[in-house]
Amino acid sequence: MRSRWNRLPERVSADVVLRLVVRTLSELCLTAGTLIVLFVAYVLLWTGVKADRAMDGEMARLRGGWAAAGAPAPERAVPSGKPAEAPASDGPGEPAASGKPVNPGGPAEPRPPAAYPAGRPFAEMSIPRFGPDWNKPVLEGTGTELLKKGLGHYAGTARLGETGNFSVAGHRRTYGDPFKDFPALRPGDAVSLTDATATYTYTIRGGPVRTLPTDVAVVDPVPRKSPFTVPGRYLTLTTCDPEWGHSHRLVVWAELTGTRTSGPVGSGGLPR
Amino acid sequence: MYGWVWRHLPGNAWVRALISLVLVLAVVFVLFQYVFPWAEPLLPFNDVTVDEGSGATP
Repeated sequence: MRSRWNRLPERVSADVVLRLVVRTLSELCLTAGTLIVLFVAYVLLWTGVKADRAMDGEMARLRGGWAAAGAPAPERAVPSGKPAEAPASDGPGEPAASGKPVNPGGPAEPRPPAAYPAGRPFAEMSIPRFGPDWNKPVLEGTGTELLKKGLGHYAGTARLGETGNFSVAGHRRTYGDPFKDFPALRPGDAVSLTDATATYTYTIRGGPVRTLPTDVAVVDPVPRKSPFTVPGRYLTLTTCDPEWGHSHRLVVWAELTGTRTSGPVGSGGLPR
Repeated sequence: MYGWVWRHLPGNAWVRALISLVLVLAVVFVLFQYVFPWAEPLLPFNDVTVDEGSGATP
């Protein structure tokens, strides 16, 4: 019983095997290289395309919700430049309460909406420093999936315009690069947030500051390392640092300097 | 590897080229739709918050 292979001389058979091995190895290397190039294209380009689409969807959802609620969709937020309004009716317990989940049965907290609904957009942010067209939705929560669709509001931090610290995280790179120009922020820059009822303009007072990922006190009601020392209406933005890494975070702090109502008051977006 | 695939495709060279193209596109689709979204969180670009770990961290 003689097969075709047995008839071949030893030398030829070894050559064939060696050629097969070398060719297969080269093909595997080429395949791996192509995979890596494709993955880089996915991370750099395709996540941006997906995120832009998702953010547009969230914006449409946001404005659709406002329209359904009877509030006219506000124009792009314009810094009002007004001085802080500082209503004098802040309860003494308010700064502490805004940093923690509000007790639903607490008699000391008569504010009707305790928190924004998780995972849903509730406001849009614009930062003139990032360009006139820079306009992103803000969603409640900071989960990985959520941050692919917009900026994330730290659950448990203050609501817009409230005493406390309205804290927001966003991607610096990938997924649309919303905070790509974060290091360009300077004290005096405006950060405008528009929800169903008003436009809140915060002015940056401190940062960008580089800190550690575990430094959760930077989103405290009176943020640590910030120029603020007494309770107030603050805003904190965080993103990653270095640009393509995760060893540190970049942080800026701002305080409320203007509120402009943009719709019928009463659906619960305004500070008491 | 690829030579083996080529030899096992039916039809003449044009038909084989067309089938190869479809196969390549299918592979790219599966990669972009399923494989890369799974692999991407393993990279560090998603860590943008300071509440990482737990809220108990001082």
